[in-house]
Amino acid sequence: MQMSMTDRAMRGMRVFAIGVLSAAVLSCDKAITQTEDLLPLTASSTDATAGAWKMIVLTSATQVAVPAPTAVSSDAYKAELAAIKAAQNALTPAQSERINYWAGGGVLRWNQIVRGLVARYNLPPAPRDDGSYVFPDANNPFGDPAFPFANPPYAARAYSYIAVAQYEALKAAWAYKYQYNRRSPARADAEIRQLVPISDLPSYPSEEAVLAGVTVAMMQTLFPAAVEEVTKRGADQREAALLSGKATSSDLAAGLALGRSVATLVLARMTADGTGNAIGNAAQWKALADSASARGETPWLSLETPARPPMLPNFGAVLAWSATPAELAAARPPAPFATASAQMKAEVAEVRSTVENLSTAQRAIAQKWNDGAGTYTPPGHWNDIAADHIRDANMSEVRAARAFALVNMAMHDASVACWEAKYKYFNPRPSQLDPAIRTDIGLPNFPAYPSGHSTFSAAAADVLGYLFPASSSEFHAMAAEAGLSRLYGGIHYMNDITEGKTHGSRIAAFTLRRAQADGAP
Amino acid sequence: MNFFRLTRRDRTIGALAPSSVATALVVLSVGAGTPARAQTLDDADFMKFRVLCAGVVYTREQWTDYWEGTLKRANGNIGTLTTTSATYMTAYGVTDRLNIIASLPYVSTRASQGVLEGQSGHQDVTVGLKYRAFNTPLTTSGMLQGIVAISGTVPTTDYTPDFYPMSIGSSSERATGRGLLSFQGRNGLFVNGSMAYTRRGNVTLDRVSYYTNNQLYLTNEVQMPDVTESALTLGYQGHGLFAPLSLVQQRTLGGGDIRRQDMPFVSNRMNFTRLDAHVRYAVPRSRGVLLMLGGSQVLTGRNVGQATRVTAGLLLAGKL
Repeated sequence: MQMSMTDRAMRGMRVFAIGVLSAAVLSCDKAITQTEDLLPLTASSTDATAGAWKMIVLTSATQVAVPAPTAVSSDAYKAELAAIKAAQNALTPAQSERINYWAGGGVLRWNQIVRGLVARYNLPPAPRDDGSYVFPDANNPFGDPAFPFANPPYAARAYSYIAVAQYEALKAAWAYKYQYNRRSPARADAEIRQLVPISDLPSYPSEEAVLAGVTVAMMQTLFPAAVEEVTKRGADQREAALLSGKATSSDLAAGLALGRSVATLVLARMTADGTGNAIGNAAQWKALADSASARGETPWLSLETPARPPMLPNFGAVLAWSATPAELAAARPPAPFATASAQMKAEVAEVRSTVENLSTAQRAIAQKWNDGAGTYTPPGHWNDIAADHIRDANMSEVRAARAFALVNMAMHDASVACWEAKYKYFNPRPSQLDPAIRTDIGLPNFPAYPSGHSTFSAAAADVLGYLFPASSSEFHAMAAEAGLSRLYGGIHYMNDITEGKTHGSRIAAFTLRRAQADGAP
Repeated sequence: MNFFRLTRRDRTIGALAPSSVATALVVLSVGAGTPARAQTLDDADFMKFRVLCAGVVYTREQWTDYWEGTLKRANGNIGTLTTTSATYMTAYGVTDRLNIIASLPYVSTRASQGVLEGQSGHQDVTVGLKYRAFNTPLTTSGMLQGIVAISGTVPTTDYTPDFYPMSIGSSSERATGRGLLSFQGRNGLFVNGSMAYTRRGNVTLDRVSYYTNNQLYLTNEVQMPDVTESALTLGYQGHGLFAPLSLVQQRTLGGGDIRRQDMPFVSNRMNFTRLDAHVRYAVPRSRGVLLMLGGSQVLTGRNVGQATRVTAGLLLAGKL
């Protein structure tokens, strides 16, 4: 078989092309980093005055009593120090790994864990064969459907209660730390190694155990099916504090008890906040539609098959953090355009034209901010953003808790206010008014106006802008993009977005009012 | 054949493609909503020296039931998902025993119910080499062939992999190695057995976190598990006909299940067992016109639709 030079050259080129193609795929490193990497936390300040910062749920930082620790000269305390030394000498690789993990900061790590749980439980119940839906049951959390359905309002509330409980517990811990002034074991005994950076923050009660105690207790109620897993995490965090030379067993025991007691007080507020009535019943759902019809409006309809009851129609009556119901009512956005109006027709046409001419960049924005079912939700996305800035600011645990508490209180209030407005107006989604509108992301099963993404995002951006002024414009640009992403996805009118955004800012003002008066420098 | 001297990282494929084993190339079909494979490439058939074969294969695939993990169900917000594709394909005989093969599908998806937007576009281009390593008389009744193939696949457009089941593909770069052993009887009957291993590159999403396989990933990068495919084929070749019947099994070597009432995800463990049948017919006196008709049915699966597929193709072959 004789091949010409051209044939040989052609063949060589082809073989080469295939080889390059295959090698490019085969040589790629598939390993990915699963979580945000956190360097060991070295707080820029110990925030020694945090015990005097204003409380939110508790009446004072010392509402929960913490008994005085045993004297450092006692045999009991010396035995605790000896136990740390012995444990450090027998450190396993798994223990070292957990020490490094928790060294990144307890507040930041727990925030990641909560985001993971929200994403795990953010799935709507599947319909039954007869077309009906069963609601999640807190007494049967492992059932089908699992409890909870961590949708955006549920998630915003959960993030806020966990963050506030941590913040309250840490302020209480700080008060006792500086009252009792017990040095950390690594400072008290030169033979104890500092396996993580250790500041001159007093160690009794241990902030790690406070965080573990308060967070695990909150999660037992909010994510009961995950209790075993989070209990293990809490134990890991306490063990890491001991092994790294930060806390003795009595520091940890006092912290754990304090954290649990604070959680009990915060849970008393949470379980009476009205969320238990948020789902409502069939008669109420019908009344919402009838009321819209009576006003001459086209009422919202579920576009799912089978039709699904609206998401948490009474969530607007849930207790907010920083505003009274009257204040929230006064901040409510004006009514949307009438469904039969020319303005509304123009709004519908704008959505249709947007999705029919969607650019790749617009689709990417819709997906970037989708945060739909199965994700950590829009409030989770803003926690993700907040976490990066909190990490970079090297905040003490108590200051990090304050930042998360403020952002999440604002988003919970935004969620309450937004849901109140959504069900007051009961406004249909674009695909209901024009069935030719197909969406590029999942269609949320609740009324359109105003846009929840826009409200959450504006509220979060305002509070983050207050906490991190140098990045304020960046936060507001993100919030604007998050709002627009809903138009690109084909699930919101522009008016939902513009009104949601200003509404979110009005709601954030209540949180900022609190932040400016809470005594934190 | 120096192009089979694989680099150090290619060991897995190298192990599957010893010179004693034979191969054909396929465009691997991975899971629900993916396009037709180039049917004529998954076989022991070769273009002769300097013969070029090119054409278009049209495929329509539909499913109503799918497996949410291992739970079989329908979904009122999808109804029936239809995926149509037109695949441009070409094969060329570099020599009688070495073919170069390329294909590129244009894919469209559409759901009969719900509000989700169908997606469409050019999907992934595949270029591969297929080499007959040996062809020896086994008994007086037939020949035993050994074939090996390698191929590379890359996306040609920036379609989204983050909108399953509407996405037109995984947008993952892939490299596949395949070995095929074929016994060709003198009476025209043949039996083939093949194994393929596909290494898949990571996929990048437009979002910064996702949840799959029981954990939250705080990254936009998705690790794609590798995929194996095994096939057993019985068929007839002769009188202008080429008619294989195959049982194909895909296994994804990792990945999570679709959670209850969740959307599918690009890295899900997509497994299936499928029955394929098709007929290729060389039209007499047409000087190289080949017609192709076929169908397939997914029998069992995991995280894929129970798809029924029909295929029709027109191919032209001629000597350059």
